[in-house]
Amino acid sequence: MTVVHQITDPTRPGAVEDRPDEVPAEPDVAPAATKSIKRRRLGWPARIAGSVCALFFLAAVAAPLLTPFGPLEGDRSQRLLPFFSGGHLLGTDGQGRDVLSRIIWGARPSLLTGLIPVFVAGLVGTVLGLVAGLGTRRINSIVMRTLDVFYAFPAVLLAIAIAAALGSGTSNAIIALSVILIPPIARLAESEVARIKSADFMEAARVSGAGWLSISIRHVLPNAAPAIVVYCTALVGLSIVYAAGLGFLGLGVAPPNAEWGLMVNDLRQYTFSAPQISLVPAVVILIASVAFNVFGDGLRDLLDVRAEGK
Amino acid sequence: MIRFLLRRIGLAVPTLLGVSIVIFVTIRIVPGDPVASLLGPTGSAEARERLTKDLGLDAPIPVQYVKWLGNVVQGDLGRSIAKQTDALPYVWEAFRNTLTLSIFAALVAILGGIALGVLAATRRGRVASGFSTAVSLFSISAPQYSVGLILIVYLSAGRGWFPSGGMRNPTGDSGFGDLLNHLWLPGISAALVPLGIIARMVRSSMLDALSADFVESLRARGIPEWKVRWHAFHNALPSVLTIAGLQVGYLLGGVIFVEIVFSWPGLGLVVFQSISQRDLPVIQAGVLVSALAFVVINLIVDALHGLMDPRIRR
Repeated sequence: MTVVHQITDPTRPGAVEDRPDEVPAEPDVAPAATKSIKRRRLGWPARIAGSVCALFFLAAVAAPLLTPFGPLEGDRSQRLLPFFSGGHLLGTDGQGRDVLSRIIWGARPSLLTGLIPVFVAGLVGTVLGLVAGLGTRRINSIVMRTLDVFYAFPAVLLAIAIAAALGSGTSNAIIALSVILIPPIARLAESEVARIKSADFMEAARVSGAGWLSISIRHVLPNAAPAIVVYCTALVGLSIVYAAGLGFLGLGVAPPNAEWGLMVNDLRQYTFSAPQISLVPAVVILIASVAFNVFGDGLRDLLDVRAEGK
Repeated sequence: MIRFLLRRIGLAVPTLLGVSIVIFVTIRIVPGDPVASLLGPTGSAEARERLTKDLGLDAPIPVQYVKWLGNVVQGDLGRSIAKQTDALPYVWEAFRNTLTLSIFAALVAILGGIALGVLAATRRGRVASGFSTAVSLFSISAPQYSVGLILIVYLSAGRGWFPSGGMRNPTGDSGFGDLLNHLWLPGISAALVPLGIIARMVRSSMLDALSADFVESLRARGIPEWKVRWHAFHNALPSVLTIAGLQVGYLLGGVIFVEIVFSWPGLGLVVFQSISQRDLPVIQAGVLVSALAFVVINLIVDALHGLMDPRIRR
């Protein structure tokens, strides 16, 4: 059970901080048939978290149907209304815009800028990991030492520097986040490939004359994929928090559009005059982060082969 | 030990070179032509050529890089566009404030994390264990800016228990008590994520240590349980300290949001203000300084780990 809390090396000893209670030192080739099927279910915290994540996606997709007000539509005379007043469930912001509607519309850019970098980094990182893992020693050290450099930066700061250099905008924020997510994914992929490389079926494939490409696509990738996919899922919560952070700094979506991080910064000025409303986007990001992390955690427990041993 | 240290320092050099390349690249990818933006639309072709030459932009990229690196090594990180001063002293001043906040947050995180982790490891299967697991999961997931704002609203703005921002009272005696008063809320906001990480690390190392053979033999000899746990904790300590040390490094770069929310005059706030002013030299100097500090802290952590655990001094 591992939640990715920051960009660290997933393969480093101690990187997996939390392990299932007392995994017995079983050999890797434990007979699979003895495992009961019914244990492979998500626990209730993960199920609740999964439902919350699903609600977020639903809200993002169905935003026009769910919101009584447009995200940009505001009435200056109705500014900073408290909760539950005048049809505004979560009140209105400094420009009289409905906060709930903006949160729901804001789910679109907020989730997209969180998810796309994970997807992009997942693809690029896997390819890099395959190349490094299957290539010669020289290729391996070139790729891996280059990736090492990125570990010398505090990841958040690097993302900010890249996004600031490229200029604010959603696509630049996505690029910046993708860059900082690639190294840990590539490292994980490389270590997975290294593990698979020594398997007997790889020897068999090589002896039977399979080519480099065929080996990597038909033999290595399917075996490395589960670990990478699970790790990427665990990265989503972090990525959403970082994406909102870039929005908060003014490096993401441009105002007056609704985006959670931008809303946090916008409503921050009303901490004293309308404290509850000023907290709404901050709390939404908190809920999203916890939900995605708990869900990713549960998914990991479910799919992790090692956890089956308990 | 000396050889181990020297080798680690030797390994840090290529990393730092790589860091400098990455930062140089971020300077070069800035969209727009610096010459055109300095001259304005009326600049003649001749003036353009002269300025390009003066700025050294006519040289090949590798030559430009070496020149830039030479300046960096001599402490010249360029001039702040907004402040019209050298970037380094400005950034350095802010970095010291960030260091103060990071160290305080790290102390909170280490003490809290160890307490929570030991609780989770020694009270397994009970309410306390579930509670501490939930707390650590929550604190790992909590974005700093959300936590900071919630703390301000509930402990500062409404109650006046703590100041909502800044580092010292302008009218106060600016002594240590004043600083501490300003440190609590940002410190806690910044500490939550590392606290959760350390708690998990402590829990799993403690569980490992408690299932070791020597614990069984201690118990068999009738040693009191708290003493057995102390032995196990002692054994878990090196790996815990490594993770804890790394967290100080992450805090240095990661407290940016806390600094903005609490107007803490650190590196993060400086970088934030420089973003809106598009003051790139300051942003780059800030990133460079924190990357350097990050590498140095990693070195120190490695050295301490080597000191505590001779096995890794291969």
